[in-house]
Amino acid sequence: MKGSLRLILCSLTFSLAAVANASDSIRAEVIASGLNKPWALQQLPEADAGWLVTEMGGRLLHLAADGSQTEIHLDLPSLLVSGQGGLFDISLAPDFAQSRTIYLSYACGGLSANTTCLARTRLSSTPPYSTSEITTVFTALPLRKGAAHYGGRLVWLPDDTLLLTLGDGFDYREQAQNLSNHIGKVVRLQSDGTAPADNPFPNKAGGVIYSYGHRNSQGLVYDAQRDALWQHEHGPRGGDEINRLEAGENYGWPITSYGIDYTYAKVTPYQQLPGVEAPLHQWTPSLAPSDMALYDGSLFSDWQGDLLVTHLAGKRLQVLSPADSGWQVKHNYYPDGEPGVRLRAVTVARDGSIWLVTDGPDARILRLTPAVQP
Amino acid sequence: MLRICIAFVLAVLAGAIVGSIIQTQFNLAALVELSVPIPFDVRISTIIHDLIHFSPIFGVILVCVLIVALPLAYLFSRVTPVAERWWFIGAGFMGVLVGLEVVNLLAPMPTLIAATRGWAGLLAMAATGALAGWIFDRLWHPTPQELAERVL
Repeated sequence: MKGSLRLILCSLTFSLAAVANASDSIRAEVIASGLNKPWALQQLPEADAGWLVTEMGGRLLHLAADGSQTEIHLDLPSLLVSGQGGLFDISLAPDFAQSRTIYLSYACGGLSANTTCLARTRLSSTPPYSTSEITTVFTALPLRKGAAHYGGRLVWLPDDTLLLTLGDGFDYREQAQNLSNHIGKVVRLQSDGTAPADNPFPNKAGGVIYSYGHRNSQGLVYDAQRDALWQHEHGPRGGDEINRLEAGENYGWPITSYGIDYTYAKVTPYQQLPGVEAPLHQWTPSLAPSDMALYDGSLFSDWQGDLLVTHLAGKRLQVLSPADSGWQVKHNYYPDGEPGVRLRAVTVARDGSIWLVTDGPDARILRLTPAVQP
Repeated sequence: MLRICIAFVLAVLAGAIVGSIIQTQFNLAALVELSVPIPFDVRISTIIHDLIHFSPIFGVILVCVLIVALPLAYLFSRVTPVAERWWFIGAGFMGVLVGLEVVNLLAPMPTLIAATRGWAGLLAMAATGALAGWIFDRLWHPTPQELAERVL
């Protein structure tokens, strides 16, 4: 039966014929194509085990080392696929090698009452992979109407607690300042979805809130070397931000913003206010940051410790390096040359190559290496 | 025809300006509820910013709405001429209500104009359509009494 799940997609393009981007001295290989609205990419820890890829439509794919794609059966409880909703991020449990547990964030519910959910399931040990024992461990509350701004990014901290970003639902922006709910927050959970005792607001909203005042955050990385948590979030028209997340802090939305509304009206007259953490970098006009990774590989030696940020509207990968007062853009990489391609995800592989996922239907996975190997 | 055009332009201008000021108040009220201080000078500068940047957007919506709603009001007013002014007021009001609903269906975000997320804001913005309808009919087809009024 598991064999029947193995779909070697006809549309697969496994082209190791590299497309060199001479202007950037970066070599881009198309590893896979024909993906339908992919959202996240996760490398499996075993050598040559390949990658797991999520698609917003709810499919979980195994991308093998030879480039073949196989669908892994996944039955997410109450999955909502609509607008910006669907299957989002995937993250391996810290004890994955023993437990084979993976975590998945996704939109759940119906169009008139939905939210961001977190489920965990077990991945079988050998390909063709399958999942079992799927359970929802966290549901952001309250439910809201519409299908926008879910957040959904997952990151593990060194103490084996899990951070999950939650969006403001677009129409509920003021709730990002309300500590009695999960809208516009980053929540910190234990592996079973419950609240750690040392969260900053133990008596509010189930004790899970880590930080608040967020609009729609889809980029979050833990930087072990600096013991820092870097996060980015979409602004409205302008005002995309990079923040250094600290427990209990307010990141301002919607009372401070460098952006204005899509109608050009002011969301707030203030870019900064006392008691609100100011961004360490902001993009105006918006580039729509979709994912972020910390470069810790060896292939791009000049980028050690830099942030890699993919952009949707900006259609590029940006490399940001630390500056006196935050982060500064060091390099822009446009897939296929300018004006680039909408990018959904970025991950650094164990071999130091950078893997990019393009956005939308008929999306591709690209592997970046230096054109001249160090 | 010139009278109709002038009446239409002035109706749209008035609706866009009043609508812009109204939506600013709803946005700032939401911030005040979050204990954000909005002193008078900040309120005025926000109103001016929105008049410059938001009112053209709302003006475009009003043009699209009124270009349909006002001829409909005219047709209905032929049936009951005594209620002509009310037909134009009602058409402007309903036109903006329906127009914003259509915009929200077409736009990628759930609600384009933040002030219309609640009923109070939606009705207040629709009232600017009513104002535009009233101004149009008042200028295009004034009553004999209105014509007799002194301008200054």
